Amino acid sequence: MPQIQLNNITKRFGKFVAVDKLNLVIGDGDFVTLLGPSGCGKTTTLRMIAGLETPTEGEIYIDGRLVFSSEKGIDIAPDKRDVGFLFQNYALWPHMTVYQNIAFGLENLKWPKDKIRARVSELLAMLKIVPFEKRYPSELSGGQQQRVAIARTLATGPKVLLLDEPLSNLDAKLRTEMRAELKRLHMETDSTFVYVTHDQLEAMTLSTAICLMKEGLLQQYEAPMKVYAGPSNAFVADFVGSPTINFVETSGNNVNLDEIKAEAPGMRLLFTPVSGSLTLRRDHPVAIGVRPENIRLGEPEGLSGRIYSTLPSGMETIVKIQVGDTQLTSVVFGSVDYPLDSPITVSFAGDACLLFDRETGEKLASGSVRIIP
Amino acid sequence: MRTVNRLKAFIKKPHNIILVGLAVILAYLTLFPLFSLIRDTFIVHPSEIMSVKGAAVNDYTLFHWRKVFLDGERSAKLFYLPLWNTVQVSLYSSVIAIVLGGAVAWLVTRSNMRFKKFVSVVFIFPYIMPSWTLAMAWLNFFRNRLVGGAPGLFTALTGIATPNWFAYGMFPTSIVLGLHYSPFAYILIGGILRNMDANLEEAAMILKASRAKILARINLPIVMPAILSTFLLVFSSSMSAFAVPAFLGTPVRFQVLTTQLYRTLNGLNPGYGYIMAVVMIVIGTAILAANQWFVGKRKSFTTITGKSSNSSIVNLRKFRTPVSVVLLALVVAVAILPLATFAIESFIMAPGDYSAKNFTAQFWIGEGAEDIGGGEPGVLRNKYLYLALWNSLKLSVIVSLFAGTVGGLAGYAIVRGRGTKLASFVNNLAFFPYLLPSMAFGAIYLSMFAKPTLIIPSLYGSFALLVLVGTVKYLPFASRSGINAMLQLSGEIEEAGVILGIPWHKRMARIIFPIQKASFLSGYLLPFISCMRELALFVLLITPANRVITTLLFQYNEKGWNQWANAINLLIVAIVLIFNTVINKITGASIDKGIGT
Repeated sequence: MPQIQLNNITKRFGKFVAVDKLNLVIGDGDFVTLLGPSGCGKTTTLRMIAGLETPTEGEIYIDGRLVFSSEKGIDIAPDKRDVGFLFQNYALWPHMTVYQNIAFGLENLKWPKDKIRARVSELLAMLKIVPFEKRYPSELSGGQQQRVAIARTLATGPKVLLLDEPLSNLDAKLRTEMRAELKRLHMETDSTFVYVTHDQLEAMTLSTAICLMKEGLLQQYEAPMKVYAGPSNAFVADFVGSPTINFVETSGNNVNLDEIKAEAPGMRLLFTPVSGSLTLRRDHPVAIGVRPENIRLGEPEGLSGRIYSTLPSGMETIVKIQVGDTQLTSVVFGSVDYPLDSPITVSFAGDACLLFDRETGEKLASGSVRIIP
Repeated sequence: MRTVNRLKAFIKKPHNIILVGLAVILAYLTLFPLFSLIRDTFIVHPSEIMSVKGAAVNDYTLFHWRKVFLDGERSAKLFYLPLWNTVQVSLYSSVIAIVLGGAVAWLVTRSNMRFKKFVSVVFIFPYIMPSWTLAMAWLNFFRNRLVGGAPGLFTALTGIATPNWFAYGMFPTSIVLGLHYSPFAYILIGGILRNMDANLEEAAMILKASRAKILARINLPIVMPAILSTFLLVFSSSMSAFAVPAFLGTPVRFQVLTTQLYRTLNGLNPGYGYIMAVVMIVIGTAILAANQWFVGKRKSFTTITGKSSNSSIVNLRKFRTPVSVVLLALVVAVAILPLATFAIESFIMAPGDYSAKNFTAQFWIGEGAEDIGGGEPGVLRNKYLYLALWNSLKLSVIVSLFAGTVGGLAGYAIVRGRGTKLASFVNNLAFFPYLLPSMAFGAIYLSMFAKPTLIIPSLYGSFALLVLVGTVKYLPFASRSGINAMLQLSGEIEEAGVILGIPWHKRMARIIFPIQKASFLSGYLLPFISCMRELALFVLLITPANRVITTLLFQYNEKGWNQWANAINLLIVAIVLIFNTVINKITGASIDKGIGT
């Protein structure tokens, strides 16, 4: 069964290192997202798995078969790796009809005509594009083109599907719809999906595991909720989640055995680790990360701040509050409206707050934050 | 009132004013000649008094049409056979140009061939050089004793006498025209291949298509529109080519329409010639219409964008070196060797004798001796040559200034007024001169402006006539460049200037032109180069006082003064190549930007 394994994969373009010693095991039937800002090497990684790009160093196994090895000089051609690839711009052949586009791969496999017909019909129905069979790609909308591209990729029934930002060219509404469809597709086809995106929401909602990259380096590789709750560093914490995590930049000192006292203008906080004790040096520069949903407004004995801005969107409201030098973002359920600059109290709930080292960006601990009166 | 307001709104936009102006002027300079040409096929010309019995000059007659189309054996010799030859030559040369140019384009853009840079630069040379350059080189190499002169280098070196079919006529004409126009195909097809989204090939590769299948099913269909327009351009260019069949066909009486045109217009029956010109225009227009119909039917093909990665470069593996070497040899043979033969031929005293003692600088710097060419001095001491060279340069510069400017404005106005009937009318008018065979075009202008018309005085024998005919003839190049330049520029760029209240002339000079400088300047470069090497257009209009260098070359060649002709040819090629390179280096303008990809 298809498992994809990358051992020490490095890709250099001249002096530029696109991917740096990447080790990754993608399990059978997984839906793995390669996530990161543009230029982080995620598309390059995907193309290397497909065989469209040649790694500078390392080894790649697909389904237990060594498809690339820089040492052994093995480089299996893309067409022999049994993968499907969905391109960001769909790469539909403009001179072929929808039917011809989908049938092309089957023709190459020398399927008999009637079987091709049956398979294409099945896919047209599955992706709800039956009426467009005889049209050319230029006569289709973006969403329809997208479906044709998916049908073309699925036609040959690849067990590994590589998807390069397939939703980024769609409008917001269509994107949400296609997300749901992709997730179903993953279940129905029972194949391994590797999915490149820079949209953290897509990664969170779709995948069984997120592989977060930055400047060619792997940052974290875990299930979405684990990445969300326990980011390995400040970059990951910041990249995942919307609205983004709040960072309170302070300097920390050990107090009362295992607690940490952190002070910043307008706030005095006490951080209690739940992940084990922690020793800081004196006035260690740290940042406390608090997800917006863990910031409570209007409770007694909170920090005093002022409303900076209120952004209601119906189901929820994003509230920005100025506390001293720090601006905090909170998410409140339902539609709430605060007058600008009105005073409000802020407190921190739960024990999923995070402590980061400001010098290295590493996560030091997770725990709860109390306010020192 | 509403009409008045609408009119006001219409003339407020500069591009409308340009369009209206161009529509009027171009209609006068292209449609009017066309009508006058058609009229000329029905009237008796002074030299035809003897053949059309009982007619006076300017009488209407169907004589020419009858003779050209319905006079059995004589029509066949006069018209049908040359027409058939023309069609064949144009067809063969189009195929050669597309196969060769397309192959080189694919190798340069899509394979790991060696010497890419050199090949891509030098492969364009045959197009920059005058078309007869290769024809003369062919003669220098392969001529035999048929014409009474000495055999060429090939026979001198190998002792093998070349057969007539190989040395003259259909075969070399097709090859030479094909080679001359293959850069066209290279530029057009290469442009598409370069911009083609590599993902399209990768998608096919992942779906297990073989290299050959990708080429046949993906690459070829996508470049098909480019191939078709190359075919259109090469076919109509070959059809109206005069110099090459004149050089290579004359010794064996191989006639095509243009050579017949020259004979009849220069001879006693211009009426026949005008009919042939009409036939050529009809064929050219038909091809253009077919092309537009075809491209229009499956549009949105050529607009292929996307991030191109060089990952889909095809590894030629064991063929890499052989293919590269063969192509290099071909490029050298086609682009550089001809120049060497000109040099050699211009330095030998008695043609056909390539021994060391036969070499002389007589034809370059000699005083002129009674027994050689009637005392004509060597080219570098020849005042006629300097006069002709000066005329050529002057003409080319003025023509390129006019054509480039008008073409740039036309491009601007056509793109801004896109979708309106007026714009497409002007677009077609500006392209129409391309379809008019140069020589016929020259002939019409000769008859049109021989006497004063409207406000224009008689221009016969004047330099102004040459400027006029050159400007109109090369306008298509310039307007194409202008349209290309404007299409690449988003309208918002100019609108941002409009909002700030910047007047139109300033928007043109300070915003639009600087951004697309290279493309616009290419619209000046192409007319310049074309004009420097033009023969057919001017050959009927030239008087001794305003002889240009190409007609001088033609005269020497007709007289059989081979060494002078070769020397002058070398000069022309050198000047054109130097100008092209210098302008390209300084401004970034280039032929391929003008042809448009």
